[in-house]
Amino acid sequence: MAKMKIKAKEKKGVVKVKAMFTNLMADREQAKKTGVKTEFIKYIVATVNDKVVYEVTTSGFMSENPLVKFKFKGAKKGDKIIFTTIDNEGKKQTGKKKIK
Amino acid sequence: MDRRKFLGVGLATFAAIVAPGTDLMAIDFRATKPKAWEVEKTVDGIKALYGNGGLKKSGIEFKAPKLAENGGSIPITIKSKLDLESVALFQDANPRCLTCVFSIPEGAIIEYDIRIKMRQTAFVTVVGKVRGSGELVMATKEIDVSIGGCGG
Repeated sequence: MAKMKIKAKEKKGVVKVKAMFTNLMADREQAKKTGVKTEFIKYIVATVNDKVVYEVTTSGFMSENPLVKFKFKGAKKGDKIIFTTIDNEGKKQTGKKKIK
Repeated sequence: MDRRKFLGVGLATFAAIVAPGTDLMAIDFRATKPKAWEVEKTVDGIKALYGNGGLKKSGIEFKAPKLAENGGSIPITIKSKLDLESVALFQDANPRCLTCVFSIPEGAIIEYDIRIKMRQTAFVTVVGKVRGSGELVMATKEIDVSIGGCGG
């Protein structure tokens, strides 16, 4: 169902990452109003070489199809960045991308 | 579904799924601070998440538009040069104030860009906890919302 778009670029040792997750991000109140199911991502984590580089616990008040951007150090070109998200029902999703 | 039941079920499934790969999660904010996710006012949220502590208004800053045309997607950039352990984002516009909590790995660059929803004009507060000393730093801003998100 939901897709994940990831972009990662390395420049002078700093990796810039952009990631977009497809999710309604409807919290309880909004779900009631619009008649959809409650659905939001509650946890996002990114790892490179088994090291956590980004970790966030979220609620339904992020925008629809949340977009996150961040930077980190300590990865080379060709390393793989792995995103894992968990939604309110406990569904897990992963996405991989090579760092350019 | 009953609210109490909903929460219980959610927490149980969450715990079950996370259990095998617990090493991924540094601190599970939902399990350790369930109260912080339920309160409405920012002040109570900060207390529930970080406890009663002095808040310093420096060391952390965030960028946000003064006037947000679309409350459904407000870009916010959080920046800090301190070595922070976690950063939380609160707002007063929605039924529950806590929007997201970052747990920051050591040596990370703190420059996070994230988009949030707000249903009305309100204050947005960013609170950071310094690694080691546990000191709290904060920044706050009012954001005008002309069209509310969140179905409002």
